[in-house]
Amino acid sequence: MIKPVIYAVALRNLLGHLRRTMLTVGAIAVGLSALIFLWSFNDGLHRNMLQNFQDAIIGSIQIHHEGFFERPELSRHLRNPDKIITTVEQAGVKRWSRRLEAFALAASDETTEGVMLIGMEADREPGITDLEKRISIGRFLREDDEYACILGATTARNLKLDLGDPVIMIGYDRFGALVAEEFTLVGIITSGEMGLDRGMALTNIKSLQEMLDMPGGVTDIVLRAPEDGIQQLTDELIFALSDENVEVMPWSTMFPVMNEWIILHDGFLYLFLVVVLFIVLAGELNTMLLSMLERTREFGIFMAIGTERYEIGLMLVFEALFIGLAGTLLGIIFGTGIVLVTHSTGIDLSILLGSTSRFYVDSLIYPHLNLDHLGTTVGAILIASIVAGLYPAWKASRLQPVEAMRNV
Amino acid sequence: MIQPDNSSAIITVKKLHKCYWVGSMPFPALNGVNLSIDRGEFAVLAGRSGSGKSTLLNVIGALESADNGEVIVNGENILGMNHTERTLFRLHNIGFVFQSYNLIRVLSARENIAYVCQLQGMEKKESEGNADHWLNEVDMGHLGYRRPDQLSGGQQQRVAVARALATNPKIVLADEPTANLDTKTGQKLMCLLQQLNDKFGTTFLISSHDPDVKNAASRLIKLADGQVVRKWEKIPPTTPPLSKACPIKNLPFTQRVRQFLRDKRKRSSQKDKKGPTPRRS
Repeated sequence: MIKPVIYAVALRNLLGHLRRTMLTVGAIAVGLSALIFLWSFNDGLHRNMLQNFQDAIIGSIQIHHEGFFERPELSRHLRNPDKIITTVEQAGVKRWSRRLEAFALAASDETTEGVMLIGMEADREPGITDLEKRISIGRFLREDDEYACILGATTARNLKLDLGDPVIMIGYDRFGALVAEEFTLVGIITSGEMGLDRGMALTNIKSLQEMLDMPGGVTDIVLRAPEDGIQQLTDELIFALSDENVEVMPWSTMFPVMNEWIILHDGFLYLFLVVVLFIVLAGELNTMLLSMLERTREFGIFMAIGTERYEIGLMLVFEALFIGLAGTLLGIIFGTGIVLVTHSTGIDLSILLGSTSRFYVDSLIYPHLNLDHLGTTVGAILIASIVAGLYPAWKASRLQPVEAMRNV
Repeated sequence: MIQPDNSSAIITVKKLHKCYWVGSMPFPALNGVNLSIDRGEFAVLAGRSGSGKSTLLNVIGALESADNGEVIVNGENILGMNHTERTLFRLHNIGFVFQSYNLIRVLSARENIAYVCQLQGMEKKESEGNADHWLNEVDMGHLGYRRPDQLSGGQQQRVAVARALATNPKIVLADEPTANLDTKTGQKLMCLLQQLNDKFGTTFLISSHDPDVKNAASRLIKLADGQVVRKWEKIPPTTPPLSKACPIKNLPFTQRVRQFLRDKRKRSSQKDKKGPTPRRS
C-alpha cells in the first residue's frame, strides 16, 4: 500500500521549489492553451467552411434517382418524390426542398453560355441554402414568379445582361426533344465562388417543369441537417428508402475533396500536436531530471531512513503527474478562455488574407471548441507529462543510499 | 579479543571485508573486522580518516553491502538481504545520525520526525504527537515548525537525533555527529545522546575522532587500515548513569574511564617488568 506521506512529501517538494514548478506548469499551460486555441480555430474554420459549402447550393444530403449524380439526365428523375418526402419528414427532417436540374444554353442577344439550370422551390429554398443572401443585384425568386431567373455575376457579365433583360434558355426535355423558353433576369448572384458565379442559373421549379414538360418532376430532394447528425440520417434514409431505387448522398460523398481537405488540415494540426507534445515532454523531462539531480543527496537520505525504492519512484511520478495536472488545468482554463472570447468576438481574417469567400470561408471566423479534440489534446499532454516523470523516477529509484548521500 | 558469538550482542561482525574500486585500483576499506556490541552499549568507533569507520557503520546500518564476512544485527544477517529488505530493516531497527544532519530540507523539524514514523505505518496524527514528544526530549519542542535552513547546526543535529530515535530503533548509528559542530555544541549533543542512552537503553554506535565523544564512550573501538586494532574494555555495568552533569570532562564517568585506563596501563607495565606473558587470542 502506498503511504499518504509519500504524496505529501512530493507535494512539499513541488511547493519547496515553487519557481521551478510554476515555470514547468506555465510551459505546459501555454503549450496546451495554444493547442486548444489552434484546434478551436481550426474547427471553427472547418465548421464555417462546411456551413458555407452546404449553404451555397449543395445542402447536407441529396436524394436522387440511382445514378443521377454520376450522369444527371432527366430520364433519371425521382419516381415517387412525395413518398420520399414523407419518409424524410418521418425521419425528423424539417428543412427539405425539391429541385429539378437540367443542362441548358443561356442566350442573350449577343452571346450564349452553358449553364446548369436549377428549378427550385422559392419558399423552401431559403431553409436549405443562403442563395437569397447572396443576391447582389435584384432579388431572389418568388413562389408566384413565372419564368424568372437568376444568374451568377460572371455569367450575367459574359452574356452582357442587366436586370429585367430577357434570357433564352435552350435545353432538351426528358425525351430528348429541344425546348426553349424566355426567362426574365430578376437577380444576379455575386458570391466569389466560381461554381455559383459562373455556369449556374436558378429559376422557379414550376417554370422549369413546364418548360421541360415534366409536371411534378423532381430530380433532387435536398435536405439540411446538423453536421454531426448527417451520417446517421443518411444511414436511416438509405434503410428507409431501400425499395425506392434512389441514392442518398451526404455532401462528403458528393464532394469528397472537401472532406479530404479537412482531414489533411486536421493532419497538420496533429503534426503540430506532436511537436508541442515533444516540447512539453522535453521541457518537463529536463525539469524533472534537473530536480532529480539536485535532490540526489536527499533521495539518499530518504532511502537511508527507510523509504523504499518504489516510494522514491512514486514520489517523482506523483510530482510529474501534479505538474502535468496543474499545467493541463491551467492550459484548459487559459485555452478555453481565449476560445470563449474569440468565439464571441470572432477573428477577422480579411486583414491578413483579403477575400476568402472562394474557399467558402467567411472573413470573420468564430473558433469552436470541439470536445473530442479537447479530450485528445488534454489527454496527450497529460500522458506526455507523466511519461516525462517516469525516467527520472526510475533513475532515482535505482540510487544507492550511500553514494547518493555523498552527492553534493 | 572480543568474542563475536556473545549471546547478549546486538551487533556481531565477523571477518568483514569491503573493498572499493576506483577503476581497476582496489582500495580496501575493511580488512577482516571482528566486532561485537552488546545491547544498550554506548560504543565509539575511533580512528583516522580513511580507517574504515564510516564504511563499517554503513555496512552495519545496511546502507552498504560488503564483499565477505558476516554482519548480524539484532539477530538478522543483513548481508544476505536484498535492497528492499535492507530498507525495511533500516526503517524498523536502525536510527541514523549523520555528520551533516541530513534532514529533509522541504520538511519542518516536526515533519522530518513525523515522516519516518509514518513510514513505519503510524497514522498522521499519532506521528505528529510522537514527533512533538521527541522534539521535547531533545529540547527542540519550541522550534518544531522551523525548516532545517532556519535552524543552527546544533539544533539540526538535535532534530536528527530525535528523528533517529522516533522510530524506536534497536540501534542508533551516528557517523561523526559532532564533526560539524563547535566544541560546546558538540559536548551538549554528546550529553544528550548519553542521556537518551541511559533513559531508553538504545544501543549507540558512534564513529568519531572527537576526544569528547571518545571520552563519553562505554567502549572505544579503534580502527586502522580497515581493522580493529585496539578495544578498550567495557566499563562495568554497575557504572552509574553518566549524563547528569555536563560538560563531559567533569563527568564522574569520564574520570572513571581515565582511572580505569591508568590502572590498565599500570598493570600492563607491571606485567612487562615481570616478563612476557602468553598473548590472548
